[in-house]
Amino acid sequence: MNGRTPLLSLREVSRFFGAVEALVDVDLDVHAHEVVALVGDNGAGKSTLAQIVAGVLTPSSGQLEIDGEPVTISSPSAANRLGVASVFQDLAVAENLDVTANVYLGQELSRRGFLREGEMEETTRDLLRHLTVRIPSVRTPLSQLSAGQRQAVAIARTLIGSPRIVVLDEPTAALSVAQTAEVLTHIQKLRDLGLGVILISHNLNDVRAVADRVEVLRHGRNNGSFAATASHEEILAAITGAP
Amino acid sequence: MNAIASARDLITRNLRQSGILVAFVAIVAVFALLNPMFLSATNLTNIVLQYTYILILAIGMVMIIVAGQIDLSVGSVVALTGAVSAVVVVKNGMPWWAGVLAALVVGLLVGAWQGFWVAYVGIPGFIVTLAGMLLFRGLTYVVLDNISISPFGKPYYDIANGFLNGLFGGYGYDVFTLVIFAIGVVGYAVAQWRGRQSKISYHQSVESMPLFVAKLVVVAAVVMWFAYKLATYRGLPVVLIILAVLTIGYTLVTQKSVFGRHVYAVGGNRHAAELSGVKVRKVNFWIFVNMGLLAAVAGVVYSSRMNAAQPGAGNMFELDAIAACFIGGASTSGGVGRVGGAIIGGLIMAVISNGMQLMGVSTSIQPIVKGLVLLLAVAFDIYNRRRAAALR
Ligand SMILES: Nc1ncnc2c1ncn2[C@@H]1O[C@H](COP(=O)(O)OP(=O)(O)OP(=O)(O)O)[C@@H](O)[C@H]1O
Ligand SMILES: [Mg+2]
Repeated sequence: MNGRTPLLSLREVSRFFGAVEALVDVDLDVHAHEVVALVGDNGAGKSTLAQIVAGVLTPSSGQLEIDGEPVTISSPSAANRLGVASVFQDLAVAENLDVTANVYLGQELSRRGFLREGEMEETTRDLLRHLTVRIPSVRTPLSQLSAGQRQAVAIARTLIGSPRIVVLDEPTAALSVAQTAEVLTHIQKLRDLGLGVILISHNLNDVRAVADRVEVLRHGRNNGSFAATASHEEILAAITGAP
Repeated sequence: MNAIASARDLITRNLRQSGILVAFVAIVAVFALLNPMFLSATNLTNIVLQYTYILILAIGMVMIIVAGQIDLSVGSVVALTGAVSAVVVVKNGMPWWAGVLAALVVGLLVGAWQGFWVAYVGIPGFIVTLAGMLLFRGLTYVVLDNISISPFGKPYYDIANGFLNGLFGGYGYDVFTLVIFAIGVVGYAVAQWRGRQSKISYHQSVESMPLFVAKLVVVAAVVMWFAYKLATYRGLPVVLIILAVLTIGYTLVTQKSVFGRHVYAVGGNRHAAELSGVKVRKVNFWIFVNMGLLAAVAGVVYSSRMNAAQPGAGNMFELDAIAACFIGGASTSGGVGRVGGAIIGGLIMAVISNGMQLMGVSTSIQPIVKGLVLLLAVAFDIYNRRRAAALR
């Protein structure tokens, strides 16, 4: 690890749901120009961590820092303001709204309270072209898109409002091989732009292809940190807790 | 794309909306054939005067329904705000605008009260407004001391019964009315034109030029014909101006503003809206405040129309307003519906009521017909959505 101040760090973050210990004293650093993969078995606490960073959940204890400054991320819009963008595992999209409206939801461009539709539309079109997503039109309601297309829309969301930290919770789960490759390329582009990325995935091949570092969670605790060059078996052992 | 294909595309894209428009035109045509009086200047003016308050309620209600809530209290709020206004104007002899102001303030407070329980305590709107329905009805009785208060007298009476007439002189018809409608038509055409131009500049598909012009011509012809009818009778009803301003204003708010976008997002997927940073509670709070305000406007219009405040005023108005929204294409599961649709839905109810009255249909049959219309409209909506889902 180098001496730079991390873009985002979690210090001994815990989160309990009643008696369930979803996260226990978890530490995590994400630097600029870095993709950190977060892996772990089902129920390991990955989504809980993502939601804490995204301002959806508040930690039961522990501290979050951005640029070394302690912060509290009390709501998703607070996260937006702090430069954190997220794609959630359960795909937070509004099916009744069209592609543009979904991409900009919660961060609409406006003048005196009124939408600047044209600009939003054009940017959305550019973004989707950039992600090489094929969608009938940026005015198509999400209810008419396939699961993969919806996922692409959710990912396009993260490019709005020039975020500095992007959290992707299983962004490739519903995608075809070709689209997965696109998303991975996209993640690399984010890194090249100087962003810090947290990538949550069950696919170790994907993870090792793009991540600079792999952090393992097991039963809500840190269970090893690996360079991307680490072998499949090593990481798997940390995930399953095999000796 | 040729004209026919693009016409078909336009219709299928807006099937639910245009379907309701077609139904409206058909109903009007049927009544016009059955009774020549139906399209007379007198009767058209009557329809405007008789049902505006339902349409005003429907504007607020459609926003509530789009957000996935419901408001059962609006009828009682109409009564309460009318009662407060009557106490101010009739009992205390204050000027008409003081009564209007008092009614609007009461409406806002009622809305804030209900919005608080829905948004910040998390009680479903159905329950909160069911309680409100009883609460505000009771308060109306208290404010009125169980009796009707009347009459309001001239300026107040003219809000719902007055006409703007003769301002530019008359030649057997009121020029002013025609001028106002003509301005409206031109404004509509310009807005449509600019919308089309900006769509083109952002590379969106638009309907072909002949079709676009045809649409404008048909709208202009129907509107000016209606204006001429009004002009040959008593001129431009004041309530029609109120209704037009509200319709245009709220169409803009719901379709073009950030707030409107968020209302749709909350109704479409509350969880997603929340995760995306939409302030769901604020949205829920303000739609109820807004409904309170519009219920107060309706309360003023209704009390003015009756020239009295009655304890039982506004009974069942909530059902008419809700029916207008669903007939006008709002979805029972939230996230879908438009102000324009609710207005047309309300007009369908109005035209059916008026037409049946005109033909002397017995008052026991009228609610049966209205009930069936509501049922069929929603069935049509569900059928359409199933078909759309199957097409995917
Ligand atoms: N809202 C909640 N209420 C109660 N328990 C919860 C809640 N959210 C998560 N948990 C619990 O916290 C633990 C961690 O869940 P989390 O969703 O973070 O796992 P995950 O690592 O994302 O799993 P997966 O790979 O299946 O997505 C689980 O035991 C889960 O049951
Ligand atoms: Mg998860």
